[in-house]
Amino acid sequence: MTTISRRGFLELAGLGAAGAVLRPQDAAAADESLTVLHESSFIKTFDEYFQKTLAPAYEKQTGVKVNYELTSVGSLPTRIGTITETGSGADATMIFGLYPFLFDEKLLDVGDIAEGAGKAQGGWYGVAKEAGIVNGKWKAVPFSNIGQLMNWRTDWFAEVGVKRFPDTWEELYEVGKKLKAKDHPFGFELGHGFGDNHGWLYPLLWSYGAHEVEPDGKTVVIDSDETARAVDFARKFFRDTMLDDVLGWTDVSNNKAWYAEQISCTNNAESILWLAKRDFPEIAQVTDQAQNPAGPKGRYHLMSAISHSIFSFTPDPQAARAFLRWLTDEKQLGGWYASADTYYQPLLHGYDNASMWQVEPRNIPYRDSLATAHLPGWPAPPNHQLAESVAKYVIVDMFAKACTGTSTKEVIKNAEAQLKDIYRPV
Amino acid sequence: MTLSSEPIAGLARPARRAPSLAMRLDRESVFSWLMMAPPLLFLAALVGYPFFYGILLSLQDRPVAHTGTFVGLKNFATNFRDPIFWRVALNTFVYTAAATLLKMIGGLAMAVAMNQRFALKNLVRALLLLPFIVPTVLSTVAWMWILDPAFSVFNWFLIALGVPRPGPSWLGNPVLAMGSIIFINTWRGLPFYGITLLAGLQTVPPELYEAATIDGAGSWQRFRYVTLPLLQPIILIVTLFSVIFTFADFQLVYVLTHGGPQNATQLFATYAFDIAMGAGQLGLGASVALAMFPALALLIVALTLYMRRG
Repeated sequence: MTTISRRGFLELAGLGAAGAVLRPQDAAAADESLTVLHESSFIKTFDEYFQKTLAPAYEKQTGVKVNYELTSVGSLPTRIGTITETGSGADATMIFGLYPFLFDEKLLDVGDIAEGAGKAQGGWYGVAKEAGIVNGKWKAVPFSNIGQLMNWRTDWFAEVGVKRFPDTWEELYEVGKKLKAKDHPFGFELGHGFGDNHGWLYPLLWSYGAHEVEPDGKTVVIDSDETARAVDFARKFFRDTMLDDVLGWTDVSNNKAWYAEQISCTNNAESILWLAKRDFPEIAQVTDQAQNPAGPKGRYHLMSAISHSIFSFTPDPQAARAFLRWLTDEKQLGGWYASADTYYQPLLHGYDNASMWQVEPRNIPYRDSLATAHLPGWPAPPNHQLAESVAKYVIVDMFAKACTGTSTKEVIKNAEAQLKDIYRPV
Repeated sequence: MTLSSEPIAGLARPARRAPSLAMRLDRESVFSWLMMAPPLLFLAALVGYPFFYGILLSLQDRPVAHTGTFVGLKNFATNFRDPIFWRVALNTFVYTAAATLLKMIGGLAMAVAMNQRFALKNLVRALLLLPFIVPTVLSTVAWMWILDPAFSVFNWFLIALGVPRPGPSWLGNPVLAMGSIIFINTWRGLPFYGITLLAGLQTVPPELYEAATIDGAGSWQRFRYVTLPLLQPIILIVTLFSVIFTFADFQLVYVLTHGGPQNATQLFATYAFDIAMGAGQLGLGASVALAMFPALALLIVALTLYMRRG
């Protein structure tokens, strides 16, 4: 019988303990995994790039398996809500719009990653900070904008003698009148969609110098001469250039109308051209894109920011941070952006002249619009009240009601009353 | 003489034994509770818990992902000041009343028609169930196309009759939009009414009709004085279900109009969802959802009392 001395036992035990503490990294990581939540992309190659290139590459380098959990379009906020309420389900997530401001308490400070990416890749656009910094801390690493710009039919515009997209709203209105008379109306969403309505109505409001709320985030200032002028413009713009049906449109409607060749101009993301090139090449040939027209007080665009955040309850914050840092490195980011052409417009200046912009030069206005893009509700800081105003369609319905005949004074008074109730002091 | 009072050997009463587990389970009081336990647990977990949690949420200022603070009835007071809330309440009542009435009349007509003898009766009955079987989201997407002026079969027909192009904007006009969702809800819910009432119709003894006919009753009088009174309990039950489902409808509006245009089709369920999930105000959203409860509870109690009396 083999016996073991007391000394021998102590040596073995010591070695075992040391082995447990100093176990090789690979062995530790072998069964480690991370779950990253993402909304299904309209551009399928974008999700495929993550699944087939990025996730395997990270697993090969570190041994950490990355699960890319896709959720259907429109359901991401609900899914994030469920995850934050239950404290489980994913380690990191794609997050957009105002949501970093709603979920901030359950998101880690990722300032080191965001600052590092900014330093290494040409610096952030100003609007990226607007989207990622919550109460002085980066709660999301900005990834891109999905810009909402003007899409127009070059052939029909040419029929009324227009070769370049009009520079101002008034000029666009004049062209629209002529085009509607030729049975080529405009189609801008005035219903309750997710984004194509706010996509042009906030920029219109801002371009007339109007705002909902002051930068203090408390004082409601929607009742102004500037708002009245924007509302008056929207009314005549709807009446003289558009289809009546736009009042009931949701986000799919303008795409459907575009491919059915019902409308000559709309406001949408790049996807309208991307899909036309794939499925309707004849329409793609006569589709062009332009920045929003300017109003009396400038030219504006809506920021539809996409970012990445880490949940504060992730069991291994360091692993999640390491992954996000790796993901936001130029080596990974460049390829991922390029996989979707420029549907996701980078918010780092380092990509301003990247080769992907040469793939489809008609997308370049989406890059140029970043300098004048803002989150909904700007210049007020994003917060819960602003999210409530957006969810209740206060601005959209103010314009829509004016288009159906309610007086400018009344629609503004109604919007003001709603906003004052939303922003009431607690 | 002393008499023996000992029991005769072999006829002694056996010692009382405890009943076996099988015997216990066989007792009606135990067995009925055993049968009731799974559905009760199911209801408690999936209906009771969310309901009471909803009440708790509605009494809090509870932004999503943040801890809540008790605010009493403040959320309900906020709703009472909110003009959209009152618009939503009106929409929901109009939608429920109109759709339920149409489903009741249409369903009764469908049941009476399906109760006749005709060729391919079973096939027709099965086909009539289709709107109810197809997932709501799918059928709603089909309706989205049907109601698009550019592709609408209705507009094509109206234009052929001389209505100027492009014809009515079914979802862009607030009144037509409400009419459209009532129509689609009726289309979807009609088979439920029809098939349930048909089952009721088939239980009416033919002798009653024969007796009524001998007494000189015409077809309308047979329907009015024989069919309708006998169907009344079923009509009440189906109406109860239909009102509950229609009142809390979500998918149809969410997919088709998202409450637009200008909240003309916004219902309690969609508005509560927008506030709770879109704006992240779980407490306020729960209070909107709970606003449905008193009306529904009153209706359920009234119908139940009516049926008991009957």
